[in-house]
Amino acid sequence: MNIIVCVKQVPGSNDVKMDKVTNTIIREGIEAIINPFDVYAVEEALKIKDNFGGKITAISMGIPKVVDTLKEVLDLGVNSGVLLSDRAFAGADSLATAYTLSKGINKIGKYDLIICGKQATDGDTAQVGPSLAEKLGIPHTTNVSNIEEVGADFIICNRSTDEGYEVIKIFLPAVITVVKDINVPRLPSIRTLKSAKNAEIFIWNLRDINADKNYTGLKGSPTQVVKTFIPQYDTGTEIFEGTNEEKCNKLALRLLDMKTLFSI
Amino acid sequence: MDNNIKILEDYQIEYLRDESRRVGSANTISFPKTQSEVVNIVLSLVECQSLITIQGARTGITAGAVPEGGHIMNLIKMNKITGLRYDEVKNDFYMMLQPGVLLTDVKKILESKNFDTKNWSQSSIEALEVLKNSGKYFFSPDPTETTASIGGMVACNASGACSFKYGATRKYIEALKVVLVDGNILELKRGKTKANGRNFSVKLNFGKILNGNIPSYNMPNVKNASGYYAKEDMEIIDLFIGSEGTLGIITEIEIKLLSKPAFIYGMTSFFRSEEAALNFVRAVRGDSGEEITKPAALEYFNHNALKLLKSQKLTNPSFNKLPDIHSHYHTAIYTEYHGESKDSTMQMLMDATVFMTSFGGDEGDTWVATNDRDMERLHFFRHATPEAVNLIIDGRRVANPSITKLGTDMAVPDEYLENVINLYNSSVSEEKLESVMFGHIGNNHIHVNIIPKNIEEYHKGKELYNSLAKEVIAMGGTVSAEHGIGKMKTVLLKEMFGDAGIMEMIGLKKLFDPELRLGKGNIFNYS
Amino acid sequence: MANIDILIHKCIGCKQCLKACPFGAIKMEKKKAVILDNCTLCGSCVSACRFQAINFVKDEVIAKDLSAFKGIWIFAQQKNGKVSEVVFELLGEAIKLAEKLKTDVSAVILGESLKDATKKLIAYGADKVYKIENKELKDFNDEIYADILRQLINEYKPEIVLFGATTFGRSLAPRIASKLNTGLTADCTILEIDEEKKLLLQTRPAFGGNLMATIICPNHRPQMATVRPKVMKAIEPNFNRTGHIISPKVNLRTALKVKVLDIVDIMKSEIAIEEADIIVAAGRGIGNIKNIRLIEEFAREIGGAVAASRAVIDAGWLEYPHQVGQTGKTVAPKIYFALGISGAIQHLAGMSSSDVIVAVNNDPEAPIFKIARYGIVGDLTEVLPELIRTFREKMKKTVV
Repeated sequence: MNIIVCVKQVPGSNDVKMDKVTNTIIREGIEAIINPFDVYAVEEALKIKDNFGGKITAISMGIPKVVDTLKEVLDLGVNSGVLLSDRAFAGADSLATAYTLSKGINKIGKYDLIICGKQATDGDTAQVGPSLAEKLGIPHTTNVSNIEEVGADFIICNRSTDEGYEVIKIFLPAVITVVKDINVPRLPSIRTLKSAKNAEIFIWNLRDINADKNYTGLKGSPTQVVKTFIPQYDTGTEIFEGTNEEKCNKLALRLLDMKTLFSI
Repeated sequence: MDNNIKILEDYQIEYLRDESRRVGSANTISFPKTQSEVVNIVLSLVECQSLITIQGARTGITAGAVPEGGHIMNLIKMNKITGLRYDEVKNDFYMMLQPGVLLTDVKKILESKNFDTKNWSQSSIEALEVLKNSGKYFFSPDPTETTASIGGMVACNASGACSFKYGATRKYIEALKVVLVDGNILELKRGKTKANGRNFSVKLNFGKILNGNIPSYNMPNVKNASGYYAKEDMEIIDLFIGSEGTLGIITEIEIKLLSKPAFIYGMTSFFRSEEAALNFVRAVRGDSGEEITKPAALEYFNHNALKLLKSQKLTNPSFNKLPDIHSHYHTAIYTEYHGESKDSTMQMLMDATVFMTSFGGDEGDTWVATNDRDMERLHFFRHATPEAVNLIIDGRRVANPSITKLGTDMAVPDEYLENVINLYNSSVSEEKLESVMFGHIGNNHIHVNIIPKNIEEYHKGKELYNSLAKEVIAMGGTVSAEHGIGKMKTVLLKEMFGDAGIMEMIGLKKLFDPELRLGKGNIFNYS
Repeated sequence: MANIDILIHKCIGCKQCLKACPFGAIKMEKKKAVILDNCTLCGSCVSACRFQAINFVKDEVIAKDLSAFKGIWIFAQQKNGKVSEVVFELLGEAIKLAEKLKTDVSAVILGESLKDATKKLIAYGADKVYKIENKELKDFNDEIYADILRQLINEYKPEIVLFGATTFGRSLAPRIASKLNTGLTADCTILEIDEEKKLLLQTRPAFGGNLMATIICPNHRPQMATVRPKVMKAIEPNFNRTGHIISPKVNLRTALKVKVLDIVDIMKSEIAIEEADIIVAAGRGIGNIKNIRLIEEFAREIGGAVAASRAVIDAGWLEYPHQVGQTGKTVAPKIYFALGISGAIQHLAGMSSSDVIVAVNNDPEAPIFKIARYGIVGDLTEVLPELIRTFREKMKKTVV
């Protein structure tokens, strides 16, 4: 099976702090990492390759430094990496990103399955997977928590829903986005590290992938940010004093006043 | 009575415990914030001659912080980092801090370099500027429990996996201020006060001089946290490191920082037999005298430990993210390498791999970490074994509340590696006790965890533990390599140094604490 | 191509731009700001600079004539004829937006038996309901639904289309937006109208909620957005309201590439935290998996549902359906007990709309206290048993 995995490099820390005095974000040496959901996408591709053979190509859109992320997945056993990098790609929203990725994927050539992580931890939009499938004109499904069966031209998988899950049969080529329940990602081994030394990473720009600069980057993004601000949570807080017993008593009295708690 | 001394309330019951599961008793408690508060409290307690038990974060597992009546002095609120020092000549950084600062705080602050410099001296502020322009620094002792206090780490000379390369806490304590039970203060700086042979003399803050004798016993030549440090011409500061709260109250500590290695790579290798694994250990450790780069950490997981982890993975959601362990493997060894460049550190891994394959390991069956995320997984695997044991014990305690885990903390010299492993293996199998073994094999420091099913097995296990200690001592080893003696291994320490050695320790203690009021029950028992 | 650079002569090196950049893409060189290559052209620095020292040139966009697009549409997700709650919440919000735009609100519903659903949609504020009834549409299907909506949108040209950010909504909306080459903003928490430009202002959390971004889609239609359940509020339904019901003809796609073989619902009677009026949530501060039973006991005492922060779920102490936060569920109960939860913004994103927040944490500086109405500073392992004791007693007294 020829599999393409979409990966993204995102800021590392979940603990971005706010400077209370200046009301600005303190980014303390935040390293860039691979988007956590994408690690599961890579693992799923590797599992399929282990069972059915084939090739895995990882693709990402980003600045030159993103080569590091591609190297990381090559170390796990991915066969090759493609980085789409060009100033013209900067400032892309999900639509422009999907367009750009689709052009890169078209250049890669034949593929059976495209696997994406459910969402990226910086944007959390979960939009690129479905949008990409549309650009490629292939079917998609999201929130895949298990692949039950892999056929010659289809897969059967479980899709997590708000109420439980659905069993979906999807014909290939297709895009699936995966959730963390789907597998336990492996660690690299000495063997995969050694193989990775021979694996190639291709870096393609706008012209290489034949993309139209009207549809990439900020220009190709129908949505624009007009304002960014730091959310304020305004509240007067009552902190109870005394022994634990006293504190709990005071709290209970306060909440007792709120009839809802004790509505019978 | 000093204002800070309060009656111990019911809701403060947690202060009668540490992580050893033993529960103690006490009448009063204080949470001083400064050295002068400590002095005032201590002076206040002189008249009634109250016992004093010193506490940090209470993460110790030998009951060192569990009070046996009297007063608890909890230093957790002495949690300020008070300064930095840069030694231009040695190009070294030092951090001054109060004992209640937690290890995790030290780690975080060295990552962010975002110090609160209120009340810092000018030279500290200048040292901070140099630090900010100087790359990454770290405090190398790395015990698993990062919520431990630095004061506690000093008191028991704590170690972690990387102490194999860097050494224990002792090596990184540059200066101490200690408040004695009479309110006098002793300031010690490494290099400034040494013993003369086995005699020493120290001057306290108001000029009083104390003359004393270093115990005459010889410490075993292994990683050691048992009893008072005693050596010819030793640094007096080393008396207090590892003294487990029995000599004085540490109120200020100066720690030495190291330049953080740029690259930290780890590898878990699997072997089909224990013998192969031990051969691998000797090889990567350079026992044959070969010139090789030694690992920063060298850890061992015996067959039962691997079996336990496999079964936990199936039943316990928190162990879900453990990678799969292949069933044809018997023993696992973890090696961690620290280096200054990607290539050189990778080369260290590759060199270790050559040894691994020569002893039957497979390159495809290794787990390698070259980034934070994967490293965290390997560390999780390391900590999962004692965690899993704790969970099983907790389950068994429901039916048998007096069962606890029985864990050894013994180490022997390098030449006895196979002997001690054989000893452990044959002993537990003879007694038909369930067990796992894991630990810092680089220092021949293996934790044998006996998991009793019932109270009979628990007692059998305790007896076994004592007999193991005798054999380990005979090999020139130690009964406690990192956890300390506390209140739980006093019998074993006696085995190690004999009544004479214990009496000498008590004699030394009496110099600083004539009425034997500090840390009663720790290190030795006396009436 | 868009471009951003620093006007060196105006830059005084105050570093405000550096501090405002969410991507760490600005550094200082020789006391002047320099923009690095990981800049995403978000423009936060421009807002922060008080000296007009940042030149941000966007491309000239030829303004299209978008006046043909009118009306606000809500996609009415349904299951077995029952409309999802989030749809009513969106209708409630749409009424306010429609007023400002002087337009109307429509619901679009696809399914098999939709009579009751249609009535309800009108009662909750839809002026029109576009209803496509066909047994092929009984179950949600990305392919067919996306295609039908494309046809409808092309035909009727709504200016705004809103979706609930449910599993299906988050899959369907981007597919449609991509088909139409228009903009989509996910997980909006605030929707407003720029009355001058007649644009939808879509505000959403970014960076795990540490930053709020307001987004517009000025030159493409429809403007599309998804909104999480429990963020907006439905109006009181009025079943006397009337509305137009339209049954447009659409082409149903055949030769589908995605087939639903089975639908499995997992009974979540104990885990319906979204419906609960009272939630007891555990954070890392509970210490270990054993203390979860104390949380459960407390929840039982006061009739609340058990929830948890991500740290607890990641540690495996509770299952994922209990997770509240940015990557979990969003809840808005009357009372939310945050026990041993520090209040990281990712968690707040999932529960800050709660009416009353009660926090227990042993760190007085924990951020949770900033949004809590009531707080107890203390060790959870001690406070929790006391809470159980106290409420057990108090509950006894109030039972009739």
